[in-house]
Amino acid sequence: MIEATGLTKVYGGKTAVAGVSFTVKAGQVTGFLGPNGAGKSTTMRMIMGLDRPTSGSVTVNGRPYAEHKAPLHEVGALLDAKAVHTSRSAYNHLLAMAATHGIPKTRVREVIEMTGLEAVARKKAGGFSLGMGQRLGIAAALLGDPQTLILDEPVNGLDPEGVLWVRNLVRYLAEQGKTIFLSSHLMSEMAQTADHLIVIGRGRIIADAPVKEIIAGTRQARTLVRTSAALQLSALLAGDGVTVDQSEPETIEVSGMDSRRIAQVALDNGVLLYELTPQLSSLEDAYFDLTKDEVEYHSHLTGGPAVAAPAAAGK
Amino acid sequence: MSTMTETRTAPTRSSAGSKGVTFGGVLRSEWIKLWSLMSTRILLLLTLAAIIGIGALAVLIRYTYLDEMVRSARDQGQAMTPEMLEASFPPGSGFDLYNLPNAGLQIGILILGSLAVLFMSSEYATGMIRSTMNAVPRRTPAFVAKAIILAVISYVITTIAGVATFLIAMPVFQGMGFDLDWSTDGVLYSIFTGGLYVAGVALIGLSLGTLLRNSAGGITVLVAMFFVLSIAAGFMTLIPGEFWKYVPQYIPSEAGGRFLSIGHTDGVIDPWHGGLIFLGYVLLFLIPAMIVLKKRDV
Repeated sequence: MIEATGLTKVYGGKTAVAGVSFTVKAGQVTGFLGPNGAGKSTTMRMIMGLDRPTSGSVTVNGRPYAEHKAPLHEVGALLDAKAVHTSRSAYNHLLAMAATHGIPKTRVREVIEMTGLEAVARKKAGGFSLGMGQRLGIAAALLGDPQTLILDEPVNGLDPEGVLWVRNLVRYLAEQGKTIFLSSHLMSEMAQTADHLIVIGRGRIIADAPVKEIIAGTRQARTLVRTSAALQLSALLAGDGVTVDQSEPETIEVSGMDSRRIAQVALDNGVLLYELTPQLSSLEDAYFDLTKDEVEYHSHLTGGPAVAAPAAAGK
Repeated sequence: MSTMTETRTAPTRSSAGSKGVTFGGVLRSEWIKLWSLMSTRILLLLTLAAIIGIGALAVLIRYTYLDEMVRSARDQGQAMTPEMLEASFPPGSGFDLYNLPNAGLQIGILILGSLAVLFMSSEYATGMIRSTMNAVPRRTPAFVAKAIILAVISYVITTIAGVATFLIAMPVFQGMGFDLDWSTDGVLYSIFTGGLYVAGVALIGLSLGTLLRNSAGGITVLVAMFFVLSIAAGFMTLIPGEFWKYVPQYIPSEAGGRFLSIGHTDGVIDPWHGGLIFLGYVLLFLIPAMIVLKKRDV
C-alpha cells in the first residue's frame, strides 16, 4: 500500500512532479504510465526516500520508507538497473545488501535462482548486459521478500522470455496480496500486466482508474462504415449523441451507435453497406488521448505518434 | 487494507526473515563491500608493502648519512660516538630516531586517504549509492559504518607497517652503537599516534568523497591538503612578519605531524595541541559530510 498526498518535486525551478495524490492498493498490479519526463521515476524515487519531496508526503505500508525498521522487507525496488558497483560480483552485491538486515545467505541464493542468474552470479556486474542487469535489480528487489514491490521499467532490455517471466512474477505476487507498482512506457505490456493504471503527464495525474475503464472510458466505441450512399446514411444516423465523421467519399466513422443499430437503419432505408467494422479502442489509443496535451518532449518527426494521430484528428 | 493487516500479523517470509536493519548488519555489509573488490584487497596489501618499503629506504638513507659522518670524523682523528652525534642535532630537526616507525607514513597517507575517498565516491560513480540507501534509508549508519571500517583498517595497516619498519631499523642502528629499542622514549608513542594520524586522514578522505561525490575531485583536494599545502607552508614562512612564521604549523599535515613527535620545543605547538588541531580538521570535514549525506537527493 502506497499513499501519496500532494507530492511535489521542484528541481531548480522546474517542476518535475506537481502535487500528485494517489493510492496504490495491495493485491493488484498498478501500472504507472506516462511519456518520458512525465515524473514517473521522480515519483518512485520520492517513495523510496532517495529524493526529498519539495512538499507533500508519501508513505509505504503506513510510514515513510526511511522510518521502517526493516525497509527491505517492506519495499523492494528496482529504480535503475545499474545501481551496482561495476567491479563487484552479483553474488557479493546481493550479499552486502542482505547483510544490512541479517538476511541469510540461503535467501541470496534463492533470489539468484529465481532470477536465473546462477551462471553469472560470480561475475562482475559491470560486464552484465542490460537484461542481466535488470534481473540483478529484480533479485535485489526481491531479497527481503517485501510486501510492496516498486519496479521502474522492469522489462526494459529483457528478452521475450524475460518479459513473460516478469509478467508472471508480478501477477503471482499480486495474487499473494502484495502491492505491485510498476512503471512502463510500453502500453501493450501494461494492458497485459496491470489491473489498475495511474497515468501521469507533466508531473500531474491525468487518470487513475482500472485498466478496463480507461480503455472503455476515454473514447466512445466507433464503427467504420463503407457505403456508396455515405451522405444519405450520415443524415439518417445523425442525432442525439451520435457523431459521424467522413474521412473518404465512401467511408464514414460513426460513434455513439453500435454496429447492429447502424445496420438496422441502413436496411430500413435501403442503403447498401459493403463494410461495417466495429473499431476496438486499445489502451494505446486511450493513452494517446489522455497524454496528447501532456507530452513533455514532442516528437517532430513524422511517424512516431502518427499511429494515434489520425485517430486523434478524427475525433 | 485488510490484506495488508493480514500479511503483517501472519508474515509469510520464507527464508528472507530477519529482524531488520541493525548497525552490526550495516557494518558487515560495508565490510563485504570493501573486501569483495579484488582491487581493494590488492591495494591494501601493496600499501602495507609500500609503507614498510619506503620506511626501510628511509632507514637506509639515515644509516648511510650517519655512517658517513662517523667515518669522516674518524678520518680527521676525532672520536665520534653515537651519543655525540645524536646530541649534535637540535631537537625538532627530524633526526630523532624514535620516529623511525613512521618513516614510510607519507605513502600510507596518500594511498589510504585516496582509498577512503573512493570508498564513497565510487558508489556515486557506479550508482551503488542508491542500493545502499535503499537498504539503509536512514543513511547515517552506512556512513558511520564506512568511517569505522576505514579508520580501523588504516590504523591496523599503519601500526603493522610501523612495527615492521622499526624491526628493520632497530638492528641497523643498534649495530652502529645507538641505544635504540622498544623502550626508547617516543618509539611506542609514535607507532600509536602514526596509526591515529592515518586513520584521521582516511576519515577526511571519506568526507571529501561524500561531499564532492567525485573520485578525482576528492583525491585532488586530499593531495592538495596534505602535500601541496605543506609545500606552500614552506613558502609562507618567507613572508615578512612574525604572523606568517606561526601559520604553517596549524595546517593539517603540520599539526598532524607535530602530534607524532614528543617533547616541548619553544616556538612550536605542543604535540597534544597538534593532535587536537588535527582532530578539529577531521570533524570540520566529517560533520558537514554526514549532514549533507542525510539531506541530499541521491
